[in-house]
Amino acid sequence: MGKREFTIHVGPQHPALKEPENFVFKVDGEYVVDVEPRIGYNHRGIEKAMENRTYIQNLYIVERVCGICSNSHQTCYTQNVEELLGMEIPERAKYIRVLLAELERIHSHLLWLGVAAHEIGFDTLFYYIWRDREVVMDMLEEISGNRVNYAMPTIGGVRRDIAADKIPKYLKMLDVLEERTKFYKNICATEKTVLARADGVGFLSKEDAIRLNAVGPNLRASGVASDIRADSPYLVYDEIPWNVISYDSGDVFANVLVRVDETFESVNICRYCLEHLPDGPIRTIFSPLGKVPEGEAVSLVEAPRGELIHYIQSRGTDKPYRYKIRAPTLGNIPALCEKLRGGYIADIPIVLAGIDPCFSCTDRMVFVDEDRDKRWEMNGEQLRRYGVEWYK
Amino acid sequence: MEDHKRLIGEFTEFLGAENVMESKVPRERRVFVTIKTDKLRDAVKYLKDHEGLTHITTITGIDSGDEIEVLYHLAKKDLSLGLRVMAPMEEPVVDSIVDIFNGAGLYEREVHDILGVAFEGHPDMKRLILPDEWPEGVHPLLKKWTLNKIRETIDGKEW
Repeated sequence: MGKREFTIHVGPQHPALKEPENFVFKVDGEYVVDVEPRIGYNHRGIEKAMENRTYIQNLYIVERVCGICSNSHQTCYTQNVEELLGMEIPERAKYIRVLLAELERIHSHLLWLGVAAHEIGFDTLFYYIWRDREVVMDMLEEISGNRVNYAMPTIGGVRRDIAADKIPKYLKMLDVLEERTKFYKNICATEKTVLARADGVGFLSKEDAIRLNAVGPNLRASGVASDIRADSPYLVYDEIPWNVISYDSGDVFANVLVRVDETFESVNICRYCLEHLPDGPIRTIFSPLGKVPEGEAVSLVEAPRGELIHYIQSRGTDKPYRYKIRAPTLGNIPALCEKLRGGYIADIPIVLAGIDPCFSCTDRMVFVDEDRDKRWEMNGEQLRRYGVEWYK
Repeated sequence: MEDHKRLIGEFTEFLGAENVMESKVPRERRVFVTIKTDKLRDAVKYLKDHEGLTHITTITGIDSGDEIEVLYHLAKKDLSLGLRVMAPMEEPVVDSIVDIFNGAGLYEREVHDILGVAFEGHPDMKRLILPDEWPEGVHPLLKKWTLNKIRETIDGKEW
C-alpha cells in the first residue's frame, strides 16, 4: 500500500460526544486501515485526590467522576467502604439504590440513542428522544432534588427516602417512558436511515469481543450475555425478575437493540422496586469521623456503559490508602479500534458513538500520527457531516 | 466459597507452594492471591486456560513502601480474582501479559504512567494518560510525590 495510505487526525475536540480525545486514523482511500488511541485530556487525578481526602469527602468526589453515570460510581464506592466496615445496609436502602441505578440507566441509554441518531444525521429522532428523556430526568429530580449528581447513596444506605404518595405518579411516568421507547424501537427497526447507517456497520465478532475484554452493552451486542448484575449480583438484583439482553450481530444495530431492550428491562426493574419497596429505615449510621479497618476490597457494578470496578485498600485511617477506578470505556477501547479497522471513514462517528464512550469517566484518548506524505485534519463535527453527506 | 478454595488449592499445586505467598477468600466471588513475580506469566496462563478466567478487568498498581504491588483483576462469570505480584521500588519491572490478555495493553500503560512500573515485552509502551509535556520520572501515584511536591515540580514549567 505504501504511499496510498493517509493519516487523519480526529480530535481532541469531540469526535463523537462533546468530550476531548484525539484519534489518528491511517486510511487507504475511504477505508480505515488502522487506528491508534491516546487518551488523557480529561484526566483529573481523582485517584490521587481520593487518597488525600476522608471517606465522607470522597463520597462527593467519586460522584463527580462522571456526569452521566455518577450514581454508579457512588454505589460502587459505598459498597467497597461498607464491605471493609462489615456494614449491612437496610433492605429499603438497597431497593432505593437499585431504583436510582435503573433510572440512571434509562436516562443514559436514551441519551445515547439520541446521540446515535444525531451522528447518522437523523436529528428529528434525536430531538424527539431527548424531549422524552426529560420524563426520567424529572423523576430523578423529584426523587433526589438533582438532575445530574443525585447524591443518593451514602455510606450505610441512602440519603433520601421515596415518598409513598408519589409512587403512583412515578409508575405513570414509567408507563410513558415504556410507551415512547417502544415507539423508538419500532422506528429504529424499520426506518431506512437507521438501517443504512447501523446494519452491519462496526462489526465485532464474539471471539474478538471476549479476546479484547470488551464490557457492557458493547459486549452483549456481540452475543455474550454477560452482565455484572446477573453474574455477580449486588444490592437486590438477585431478588428482582429481569433478563440479560444480548444480540448476536455484533454491529451498531445490535448496540441499538441491546440498549433499547435494556431500557425496557430497567423500566420493569424500577416498577418492581416501587411496588415492592420494603418498610424500614433508609440508612445505618456511619460516623463522619469514622475510620475504616485495614483491608482491601473489590466492588463491581454494571454501569450503563458496562462493568465498573473500584478497588480500595485501607490502612485503618480515615482516608483510603489507595483507591483505583476503572470505568467501562477504557475497557472498550481495544474493541472499538477493532470495530473501526476495515470500515469506512464515513462510519467513524457512529462506530465511535456505538460503544457509548465516556471520556470523563475513562478520561483519556488520542490518536497518534505516523508520517506519510499526506495528512489532513477534521474535527468531529466535520467528520459527522462527511459521514452524513457520504451516505446521501 | 468451596469452589474458590478448590481453585486456590489446585493453583498452589500447579505453581508450587513455595511460589504462592498468600491467598485469601474475603467473601463470595472474591479471591486474592499473591505470588512470586517471576511466576506471573505461568500463573496468568494457567488461570486463563484451566480456570476460565478469560477476562481482565483492570490492573491496579499500589505503592506499598519498599515495593510496588501490581494487582491483576482477572474475572469470569462469578469470580473476580486479584492476582498480586510485588516489584522492587528501585527498579520496578514485571513481565507484560499483553500476548495472553490482549485487552491488558492500556492497563499496563496506565500503571507505567502513574507508578513507573516497566512491563517487559509490552509492544508499545507509550504514555497513556499523562500529558506529553509531563516531566520524566514524576509518577504521580507514588507516595513520595505528595500533592505539594507535584505542584512545585510542574508549576512555572512551560507546559
